[in-house]
Amino acid sequence: MESIDFSQPARQSSKGILVIFALNTFKFIRRYFVLFLALGLSLSKSESPSFLSTTSLILIALGVFVLIFVLAILKYLNFKFHLDNDQFYLSSGIINKDMTIIPKSKIQNIHIKQNFIQQIINVVSLTIETAGDDKAEIEINALSHSVALNLKKQLFISRPISDNGLGDEPVQSALFFKASMKRLLLEGISENHIKSFLIIVSFVFGLYNEFENYLQDLGISDHFQTSVNIETGSILNLLLANVFIVVFAILGSMLFSVINTFISNFNLEVIENDNTIEINKGLFNKLSLILVPVKIQNIIIKTNRLKQYFGLHTLSIKQAMVNKKQQKNFKIVALEKHQVMHLVQKVFTRYADVDSYEKPEFYYIRLLTFRSILVGAFVNVLAFFIFGNYFWLINIIIIPWIVLFVHFTYKKASYQITDEYLTVNTGFIDRVRNISELKKIQSVQIKQSIFQKRNEIASIHIATASDKVKILCVTDQNAKAILDYLLFKVESQDRD
Amino acid sequence: MFTNQQINLDILPSIDDVALKPISKQYLMIIVINRWVFYALIVSALMVAKLKIVHEGFQLAFWYLFSACALFCILNFVVALLAFKKRKYAIREQDVIFSKGLLVNSISVIPISRIQHIEISRSWLARRFNLATLKIFTAGESGIDLRIAGLNYSEAKQINDFLSNRVNGID
Repeated sequence: MESIDFSQPARQSSKGILVIFALNTFKFIRRYFVLFLALGLSLSKSESPSFLSTTSLILIALGVFVLIFVLAILKYLNFKFHLDNDQFYLSSGIINKDMTIIPKSKIQNIHIKQNFIQQIINVVSLTIETAGDDKAEIEINALSHSVALNLKKQLFISRPISDNGLGDEPVQSALFFKASMKRLLLEGISENHIKSFLIIVSFVFGLYNEFENYLQDLGISDHFQTSVNIETGSILNLLLANVFIVVFAILGSMLFSVINTFISNFNLEVIENDNTIEINKGLFNKLSLILVPVKIQNIIIKTNRLKQYFGLHTLSIKQAMVNKKQQKNFKIVALEKHQVMHLVQKVFTRYADVDSYEKPEFYYIRLLTFRSILVGAFVNVLAFFIFGNYFWLINIIIIPWIVLFVHFTYKKASYQITDEYLTVNTGFIDRVRNISELKKIQSVQIKQSIFQKRNEIASIHIATASDKVKILCVTDQNAKAILDYLLFKVESQDRD
Repeated sequence: MFTNQQINLDILPSIDDVALKPISKQYLMIIVINRWVFYALIVSALMVAKLKIVHEGFQLAFWYLFSACALFCILNFVVALLAFKKRKYAIREQDVIFSKGLLVNSISVIPISRIQHIEISRSWLARRFNLATLKIFTAGESGIDLRIAGLNYSEAKQINDFLSNRVNGID
């Protein structure tokens, strides 16, 4: 790949007009969707005022599209970027001119994405992020793939490029991991289906709330009610209907999990470069992200019983000030255990997988029991209002749940502090391991309630720039010793 | 010259050895005034309601409400008084320590090298008492940020200068 000269201000590919146009149209329609719907409905009932004839409506729609198109062209014309030795410049804005300058050394991530439209016209978008803001600072909508790769490479080279240009050493990169279809399928099946179920439920509720009025207008709910009424003839029918609903919900959630896993992780690839890690994935939205190990704050490894059996581990990577939506993308699913270890060691070079973990004190069991009984009591009160006198029946579920919860949560809780790394294990159904580097710790806090004080127990909260890790329920003395040690590690680091 | 001596964990500077310093006693006045205003507002709202609402049930409920309010007020003052004594801070060579809380006591430590920026803020009341609040921020959204209220203004400025100099690398 020969390197392209980015030193002169340049526009993106002219296909960018189309991308911007499509994006803005999409945004416009999404924002006024409900309005359109209302308009359509009132039109169908022919209650519309006389001036809104079909032709004038079409003219208005055309006018709006032309306006969006002209704006897209102007936006395209005013969008210029270039690169010098150590900074990236971007000027944008039609009326208000913005000039954004980002020093190369402050760049945290670069993503290359391709949504559906971009896939059709064969361009990619490139996003540059720093730790400063939680939303992406710069997005270039349309670049050809080779130009984007080239720009990405040049952004990551911190030293000025020699004018010869041709003496470019080939970057050593190797495909480290590629998720097979079978593994993705297993990953989807062993997912936490409760989460998918909740997503579906909230989605349906949201839709219902939004369109309640329209649905009522169309008389769908009446129709629905009559069809339900027929089936509530006998208790057997009711029972069958309930079983059917439960099975349907489970199958639906499973299907949702599998499809979701497939769409977001289709063709998942992890590529190891000299000093970065590259993740490629996605079906409709193709995504390519580059991770710089130095900027990574914590690593979280997640698995559960079932996944462990299949040898599936999920690795999430946390950086400072990345927005929640983006954070979800820093996730590599379906990894084998040794692959996880390899990646961890790529980021945290001196991390050794030593199997000697400290357990929290027995007091932790008391705390967990106390908390879950509180929650249980609350649920009981709720149940009393819903089911009346038979409310205690739900304790058949709640009590075993509490026992299991306390048992497994305590069993899985442990921590380890080595010379350079802090590892904390938690989880109830999942098994979550959080690894952070001691020298990236931002602050430390000891917390102790008056009940804990009597038992000489305390908890430690450790904050990095991206996450807060808790070591719960250790003895007073231990907590202070850990605090002293962590502070010593952080503070002595900087003297060098 | 690179060295890599083993560290004797027993001789590390310990948090136990730090003599934490209480914040200015005058800050108690601010707490008391704030609480007092708060409860005065609630009680006066109750009084107005008593005069305006003629419903019989309310007249009976008024005394319950009033005594509940008074009880809360007393409890709140006692807890605030006891908790006040727990507000302590210390500046070490390498870090800032702040401890607070009666029911849940916390000791927060921020290494000076991790400070992003410092802010001194003074409310209208604090200016009357010549006090200030020192806020210390670290990087990242999840960070534990310190907020030391009730420092003498001159002391707050002194700490601010010291920390700023250290953060900027001037010793």
